[in-house]
Amino acid sequence: MAVISRRNMLKGAAGAAALATVSKASTTFAAPAVIQSGPVEITYWSAYSGELGDADKAQVEEFNKAQSDIKVNMQFQGTYEETAQKLTAAIQAKDTPDLVVLSDVWWFKFYLAGALKPLDDLFTANNTPIDDYVDALVSDYLAQGQHWALPFARSTPLFYYNKDMFTAAGISEAPKTWDEFVGYAPQLVDKDKSVVAYSHGSAASYLAWIFQPVIWQWGGEYSDADFNIKINSEAGVAAGTFYQKSIQDGWANSVDDPTADFTNGLCATTVASTGGLKGVKDGAAFEFGTAFLPEGPAGFGCCTGGAGLAIPAMSEKADAAYAFTAWRTQPENTAWWSENTGYMPVRKSAVDSMTDFFTENPNFKVAVDQLAKTRSQDSARVFIPNGDQIIGGAIEKIIVDLGDVKGALDDVAKTLTEEAQPVIEAIQALATPTA
Amino acid sequence: MAADYQVPAQSGLLSKRQRIWLGNGAAYLGLAVILLLIGIPLFWMISGSLKTTQEVRSIPIKWFPSAFRWGNFKEAWEAAPFGRFYINTLITTAIGSGLELINAVMTAYALAFLRFPKKNLVFMLILIALMIPDEVVIVPNYLTISDVFGHSWVNTYQGIIIPGASVAFGAFLLRQAFLGLPREVIEAAKIDGAGHVRMLKDMVVPMARPSILTFGLISLVAKWNEYLWPLVVTNEDRMRTLTVGLTYLFDNEGNTQWGVVMAGTIFVLAPLIFVFIWAQRFIIEGITSGATKG
Repeated sequence: MAVISRRNMLKGAAGAAALATVSKASTTFAAPAVIQSGPVEITYWSAYSGELGDADKAQVEEFNKAQSDIKVNMQFQGTYEETAQKLTAAIQAKDTPDLVVLSDVWWFKFYLAGALKPLDDLFTANNTPIDDYVDALVSDYLAQGQHWALPFARSTPLFYYNKDMFTAAGISEAPKTWDEFVGYAPQLVDKDKSVVAYSHGSAASYLAWIFQPVIWQWGGEYSDADFNIKINSEAGVAAGTFYQKSIQDGWANSVDDPTADFTNGLCATTVASTGGLKGVKDGAAFEFGTAFLPEGPAGFGCCTGGAGLAIPAMSEKADAAYAFTAWRTQPENTAWWSENTGYMPVRKSAVDSMTDFFTENPNFKVAVDQLAKTRSQDSARVFIPNGDQIIGGAIEKIIVDLGDVKGALDDVAKTLTEEAQPVIEAIQALATPTA
Repeated sequence: MAADYQVPAQSGLLSKRQRIWLGNGAAYLGLAVILLLIGIPLFWMISGSLKTTQEVRSIPIKWFPSAFRWGNFKEAWEAAPFGRFYINTLITTAIGSGLELINAVMTAYALAFLRFPKKNLVFMLILIALMIPDEVVIVPNYLTISDVFGHSWVNTYQGIIIPGASVAFGAFLLRQAFLGLPREVIEAAKIDGAGHVRMLKDMVVPMARPSILTFGLISLVAKWNEYLWPLVVTNEDRMRTLTVGLTYLFDNEGNTQWGVVMAGTIFVLAPLIFVFIWAQRFIIEGITSGATKG
């Protein structure tokens, strides 16, 4: 077992402590996986490709270079959905990775199946300052008094607007409310160039996530915490009608990839993930701004989303996997990841070190400021299997088929209620102690 | 026979000449439509591969790139270990198609020419297997492959190849083709004392060459383009295939660089297109050689 030299020692107390624990564990307890000399190899399943994949890879390589006890093998598995499906198969075959990226709508399913490792013992063993993690993000993974993942690539919806188009239309700043925006939206439309004022996404580009804050802004919700479905309430219908009217009035459209349309100047505004911020910044040939989500009749509303890192229960190298996770979420590494992707800094102390970056990139600052005002998503989207796509499909129907809003939401409420049943039963089964 | 067919002269509206001209015109029009249907996406892919993402997405449509961005190809090639992916796809396609073809020919031969009990039942089972969509068997196949007599075939060539090495479709298609072969020739060979191997090798396979080649080509394209199974059964870069490699070019949060994706698609597709052009003459040759015999 290689001794951690001072030179190799990682910057930051948490990571070093984590590693020290790993090397200690391997000598004292002689865990089978780390008996042989040479580094412990862990498998990390990533869901990032493109620019995000480059940033992910860069951090893995840096970790591998910075120390010699653990070697992380990063393996890209496709989208969040494909990664989750592959994990399902891997669990069936009893051959799981040691660390996996799970999105907001997937981790709970694996938790319910007993496939994830609770992390609180590892926090204690590694002196992880859990208080320094942004509460709104870390508490998302809390169930049965334990944390089941650490926040990593977390994002929020963000209002993006094309400053050049705003200036051309004589508008000086981003709208405070949707009402205000609807007032001048027609001026932002340019029929000759097929430019619309706002682009909606599709179910596949997580429309249900973008609509989550909207239903809150209208005073409704998808469901309460106990899976009572409220999506077809009066407020829900009003929010849906607002979406539908945006299409009927001709200032919005529905596209496959709104972020790309925005970057390429096909819409004046859109609401998209902060995770796309870096991509927009690199790709846009115009000046753009970001702002808090506009308020609705019931005020402000914004959710969080994105992915966390979880350790499958079957992994025999949880200590090493955790050491890597702890290293990645160290303040300076969190800051690096955040600056290079647009995901939220998950550590409070990381935000302090990003002051210079914020001065140069005020758009990132807006996203971080908005984070303080977010709340956790409704259970219907994140905890019901496929809830995201079920809701997304209904919204898509409302803005593409332009049919009866109430009818579409009634249908989806019925589906969600049915789909929630097994989840409720599974939660009850977990709550009942086995004799 | 068809060429000398005499048109009865009762319709006085158009002369024979005019009618042929019209017929040809209609045929050419149909060809042109089909050419456009197939050609436009191909053209769009090629022109897209040389554009910036802005140009790909711009409205009104820009048919030609303003400047050739050859850098897209470089960027796509470097986004993932595509060299390795090429080797993997070549191996899995060649062996996979080869095995599938051999299996299909032998199964079809047995079904067409051998007499054995419950032959119809076997054929029925093959037909039933034909009806089961691939997606349904993904999980059972994965479980089987992940524990083959105590060995995991995940991340191996055999793991990618074996589940697809024998499919009902080929056996079904070739059985029908073999049944259509002239019985007299088969009987004659039998009387001359040809065994099954000789019969298969020297009689059935040469006579059914167009069908076998056609199926071979279908199999080749299917294996080359297969996405879901190689994705499921491989976790590591070193075992992945070209089609899975294309997903490395997409971006999770939107903002996919379409120029780069198109460039990647071209070098994934190119070998297949060349194989198609090359193999086409065999198929045409096969069809015409059959036609002269009536």
